[in-house]
Amino acid sequence: MNERNERIHGVACIFRKVPDVFHAAEKVRDAGWKNWDVHTPFPIHGMDQAMGLPRSPVPRLTLLGGVTGFITGCLLTWYMNSYDYPLIVGGKPYWSVIFPFPVIYECTILLAAFGTFFGQFIFNRLPRHNHPLFDLPNFARISDDTFMIVLEARDPQFHLDESRNFLQSLGGQEITVIRD
Amino acid sequence: MSSSSPHALTAHWKKFLALGVAALAVVWVFAYIGVGHHENRQALSVLVGSLFWVSVLIGMLLLTMITRVFDAGWAPLVRRNWELLIEALPVVLLIGVVPLAFLPEFRHALWDWTDPAHVLAGGHTVGHDPILQAKSWFLNEPFFLVRIGLYVLVFGVLVTLLRRWSFAQDTDRTAGHTHRLHAVSAVGIPISAVALTMLAFDCLMALSYHWFSTMYGVWFFALSIRLALAVTVILTYKLSNGGWLDGLLNQAHRHVLGCLMLAFTVFWAYISFSQYFLIYTANIPEETFWYNIREIDAATGLKSEWWSVSMYLIFGFFFLPFLSLLFYRTKIIADRLLTVAWIILIGGIVDLWFNAIPRQVYDKSTPEGFVVTPFLTSSLLLDLAAIIGFGGIVFAIFLRGAAKHETIPVHDPRILESINYHE
Repeated sequence: MNERNERIHGVACIFRKVPDVFHAAEKVRDAGWKNWDVHTPFPIHGMDQAMGLPRSPVPRLTLLGGVTGFITGCLLTWYMNSYDYPLIVGGKPYWSVIFPFPVIYECTILLAAFGTFFGQFIFNRLPRHNHPLFDLPNFARISDDTFMIVLEARDPQFHLDESRNFLQSLGGQEITVIRD
Repeated sequence: MSSSSPHALTAHWKKFLALGVAALAVVWVFAYIGVGHHENRQALSVLVGSLFWVSVLIGMLLLTMITRVFDAGWAPLVRRNWELLIEALPVVLLIGVVPLAFLPEFRHALWDWTDPAHVLAGGHTVGHDPILQAKSWFLNEPFFLVRIGLYVLVFGVLVTLLRRWSFAQDTDRTAGHTHRLHAVSAVGIPISAVALTMLAFDCLMALSYHWFSTMYGVWFFALSIRLALAVTVILTYKLSNGGWLDGLLNQAHRHVLGCLMLAFTVFWAYISFSQYFLIYTANIPEETFWYNIREIDAATGLKSEWWSVSMYLIFGFFFLPFLSLLFYRTKIIADRLLTVAWIILIGGIVDLWFNAIPRQVYDKSTPEGFVVTPFLTSSLLLDLAAIIGFGGIVFAIFLRGAAKHETIPVHDPRILESINYHE
């Protein structure tokens, strides 16, 4: 990477039709690109596979949150009802898994939801207040009637001229260099 | 896909019929001899066997109507198999539950409350039971028989309507049938909900008529959908390996069925636990005895074999399928989903056993005045024979229907969406 590249975010091009951007995405995927993205005004079914995206890692944090919540709920009810201030309620044991189950269950749900909610923030790298793409003059159009592919400079395959030509060979129009 | 050449599989319907008739003949003979010797366990096999399939088929009936009401895009491909199967629902009721209810010897043997001379735990008879007298506005024989007749009628009519217009669409290509089925389903869902709740009350809950649970109908619903989905997964697996779904059933269909299996596994656990939890918390003897006889050996005070059955339900019928289905790959890899479906199917049989078999039998030699029906007896084999017997009839009807009708709803407005369904 040369010094000029460090100030460049990537190159972008636009497409006017869904099949065009779809097949272009497949070619970028097959060329082995890792740091790139497709921007569309609406979800395109099958785009995940066309881009070669893996499954979201968020469910792992959901599971982690759920397990943590379950253990927290057990410890919470055991500590309060059976250890810190042992109390007989309705002739039930100080602690069993049955009577405090609503508490344990709710803790499981709560922390699983936290895992999901904050997990997507982490994996989406949010909050993020600005992005170099926002400076593109035609960027607003990808929420209307155009589709955009962006090849990012941090990808090891990135080389300004070659990437430009690559986008051109895919049929991309209005190829633009995005500066950081 | 053409109607002129039915699939080779359908030729096997006679084998299923022969298997079904043979197994049911054996089970009914055992039940008849048992009842003659004042034994009801063999008659209970007929009830468990028929209720297993009633539950599967009610689940499929509901799934048919629910996917109609919501216009589910993935459903038509799978739904046609439900439509072919549910023809058997009134038949299973007519050769299982109906004779048990309408033949007095079987009725008296199975449902204690219908026999005034029956001696209850504690030594008094049903005829002198104040609890039954208070419940007699509902638990009286004429009304009971009318209700059993109504279940056959209600489910029979719904099954007929749902099938008729769906098959009519195959030949006359009219989209209006879809709207008509939409309306039938919207009306049919609440009617089925009431009917299946009452059916669960009459056939299962009334086996221990002192006991009551308002969640019982919902439990039966959850079990029905779980069993229906398990049978659907097993059947569609078979049909996509050399049947009419070959090359049509894809990963996304399995994912949907897997997600539904996960959802209803959780729902079943929620309902079953809530029922237990409320009774445990309230601690009222007329409710707790139902769980006590399923946990504790009254004579010794130790855990009985029914306790092991309860534990199997918690770990084998909830945690095992639940934790497996949490993983995306379990839901899309055909062999893994098939394994989970079998686990659910086996768990469903154990759950029916848990609900149907244990009851207090009068025995004055014990200090408590009763013994609990044991779990591990040779009659479990008779239960399995009954399940196989009714299953033979169900699949004979299914395959004969598949030979007569399209096995793919070729003119369903959403059939292309269903075939091309993706995640």
